[in-house]
Amino acid sequence: MFRVPFLVAIALAIAFGGGIWSTRLALDATIGFGAIKLGSWEAFPEAQTADADPYAKSHRANAGKLLYATAEGLSFTATTDDSGARLSGSCTYQLTGQTPTARFWTLFATGPDGRPPAADADLPSSLNSRMVGRQPDGSLDITIASRARPGNWLASPQQGQFRLTLTLLDTPAAGSSGLIDLSMPAIRRIGCGNV
Amino acid sequence: MSRLFNFLSLRRDFLWLKILFAIFTGLVGAALLHLIIVFSLPQFSQRDAYTRIIAEGESHRFYRLGEQPDLAGLSKEDPMMEMSVCSFDISETPVRLTAPNIGVPFWSLGVFDASSDEIFSINDRTSADHVLDVVVGTPAQLAALRKSLPRGFSQTVLVEAQQTEGYAVLRSFVTHKSVVPVISRFLEQATCAPFQWRTRVQF
Repeated sequence: MFRVPFLVAIALAIAFGGGIWSTRLALDATIGFGAIKLGSWEAFPEAQTADADPYAKSHRANAGKLLYATAEGLSFTATTDDSGARLSGSCTYQLTGQTPTARFWTLFATGPDGRPPAADADLPSSLNSRMVGRQPDGSLDITIASRARPGNWLASPQQGQFRLTLTLLDTPAAGSSGLIDLSMPAIRRIGCGNV
Repeated sequence: MSRLFNFLSLRRDFLWLKILFAIFTGLVGAALLHLIIVFSLPQFSQRDAYTRIIAEGESHRFYRLGEQPDLAGLSKEDPMMEMSVCSFDISETPVRLTAPNIGVPFWSLGVFDASSDEIFSINDRTSADHVLDVVVGTPAQLAALRKSLPRGFSQTVLVEAQQTEGYAVLRSFVTHKSVVPVISRFLEQATCAPFQWRTRVQF
């Protein structure tokens, strides 16, 4: 007797539930297509342009972030280390290698709440290219840990997963369409717990 | 008895077919709805950057962003970048964005239209004498401006915008705490005012 309404209800529930759920998932999970991926680093050089794909436009309309324009810079984010494991506050990581050509760069870790650290934080929760000491060949060697480390130390959140953001300021990489050979620093896990 | 059982199972088969069909219809509907939301969200979103910048207050002035999200939901997204935002409407007069060269290590400006698409961007190295001086206008306004370019405009960058509404984001890089006062002064002195249209009567 209630078969037809029942069937209609199934169809509508799946359509609305599935449609809304899949859209939320898609907009949360990705900033769109057109990412350049270098190791575990990911950047979207076209996300702020009119050429961005519909997912990128929808994501930026929903997130309301102020994106870097082409002459300003390019933001790379990493949520995993080079082996593909999620970055965790209880582990220690080593960031080594070169950044693409840029006048300056900034590096900071974002906790699970997604808020960047405070500029006047007690711990060095953000670094920039003027602050860090270099290797003799000019490459980077930064230790990312929640406890103090000798050398270049970036304080990560005490626990939970975190995300690294490396922003290159005034960089030719922002206009990159994959033609320039870019390389980003490697993120290697040294160990977890009290190491 | 067995005939009755056959009849029941047949009916049940039909029911399953119908349920399958309903699920299939639902999935097609879900895919359609997904596409509709993704494509139309930029048009009706109330959380996009332009709506938030308008909510900062009146247009044609720069608003400095803090570390905590303000009432409009905007905040600095990098602890080492100080930033100001300004919304503008060039339907009547162009907007002129200026900031002096007082020795900040780095500044950059991004100009976006109301749908958050980049129109123009510049930084201190790509500008003349590290001075920010940009006029954003419609093609017609800029054609009229070029025809009688006032004195002191030789270094000004003229930017054509197809849309009449948009916003500008001015960033400056804090290399060290010691440059914060200079950067604050730089951002306070930055202007985002309607362009003063001086007619030829003056000459």
